[in-house]
Amino acid sequence: MVAVVVTLTVVVVLMGVLVAGLLRSHADILRSLHSLGAGVGDPAGAAAGGEGTAGAGHPHAVPVRMGPTLPSERGSDAHDVAGVTPAGDALAVSVRHAGHATLLAFLSSGCTSCQHFWDTLSSEGPTGLPEGIRLAVVTKGPELEIAAEVAARAPAHVPVVMSTEAWSDYEVPGSPFFVLVDGTSGRRVGEGVANHFRQVADLVRRALVDGSGPSPAGGGARQGRGAGHGGATGRLGGPAREAANDAELVRAGILPGDPSLYPRSLQDVFQGTAVGAAPRAPRPDGTA
Amino acid sequence: MTTVSAHGIGAELPAGFEAHIYQRTATGVEQTFPVAHFATFPIPPGTGDFGGGATTLMGPADVFVVLFEYGPDSLGTKLFSAQGMPRTLRPDDIKAHVLRRGIPGQGGTQLFFTEGNRPFTLYVVVGSYTNRAQPVPKVNDLLGAIAITPRPALERTAQAASPGGAAGAAALRAALAVEQWN
Repeated sequence: MVAVVVTLTVVVVLMGVLVAGLLRSHADILRSLHSLGAGVGDPAGAAAGGEGTAGAGHPHAVPVRMGPTLPSERGSDAHDVAGVTPAGDALAVSVRHAGHATLLAFLSSGCTSCQHFWDTLSSEGPTGLPEGIRLAVVTKGPELEIAAEVAARAPAHVPVVMSTEAWSDYEVPGSPFFVLVDGTSGRRVGEGVANHFRQVADLVRRALVDGSGPSPAGGGARQGRGAGHGGATGRLGGPAREAANDAELVRAGILPGDPSLYPRSLQDVFQGTAVGAAPRAPRPDGTA
Repeated sequence: MTTVSAHGIGAELPAGFEAHIYQRTATGVEQTFPVAHFATFPIPPGTGDFGGGATTLMGPADVFVVLFEYGPDSLGTKLFSAQGMPRTLRPDDIKAHVLRRGIPGQGGTQLFFTEGNRPFTLYVVVGSYTNRAQPVPKVNDLLGAIAITPRPALERTAQAASPGGAAGAAALRAALAVEQWN
């Protein structure tokens, strides 16, 4: 009997200690909330203004700390590109207020996929880009790139800007990455990844044919820059856009009834990404 | 607003301008000094110091501006006696006959000055001499946005002195100051 009483006493004491600890912990939490200005459980606040509100004579500003902003949708604004050259000089390329379209090629010295683009640009051969499109290469800044490596790959006739800020401005996910900017509107009109320059040229050509695309070289207003692609498509809609698309297809040799207009599988769609590069399917009338 | 800065020349570029501020690598005993190009059209890589290869690409409304620094030997000479870079040009300052490479229809001006112990020439080309009043405000916007960092003062006596002794040491210190500044 004595043992049972002693045991129960010990249990009651332990329970008492536990309850006291919980009450103290609860009090600490309430004190912390109060110090943060939440006013939760503040008897004075409850008495003066109702439950959960701070006292009328002691307004508490609730401090709000903003965390990092959530990733937003990809923007379409263009930004001028400023940085340094591989030689350490300053270089700024204007892509807005430019009156011409600019293709920004975001490349790295270390990425294997970029090597083809470095080689193509250095060869000074035709890139396949429509005439009047200005090309500029953008690498990350010297703090993240090896300037000597970039210098060894830099083409002589294309500006190369080292700018980490530009990569951030254009939300570049990785290299190689290409952004087409319409200098007239100051907006990006196309962007994406490519493995070959033919694909890039195709991307640009599609953007030009599309009504939302830019007109290269400011409609040929400048001297010595070529007449470009005509720049006549502009922002078309409805029948005018359909007519422009038809005209572009005819120029590419795609006439009404062409099998490529009626793909039956994904293979039919992606068998040739470069315009005019893939072998054409015979027409229904048997002609090539 | 885009900011560029190198070799002691900086600018907050007005809209539509691009820039290239560089200093050519010296070969042999040649000494090179900073050059800055500002233009309202794409500046081709390899453009000559005074616009060779670029001014032929200008449209009628375009401008091309060069800041070309000369060596310290030019300090104190009469040609560079004007103090401070001109910040404002008038349409009448644009002439049809001062271009280094005369391209029909274009106009320009060239001014010499010293700022921050650095002798410069300012060379401006406009795409159309006839319509020179139109681009001049653009040029003035640019000129007002350019900053030149002063070069540490050099003692002309030290430059002229032969190496050796106290004068030689002074010349070396001066040379090192320039080296550090660069």
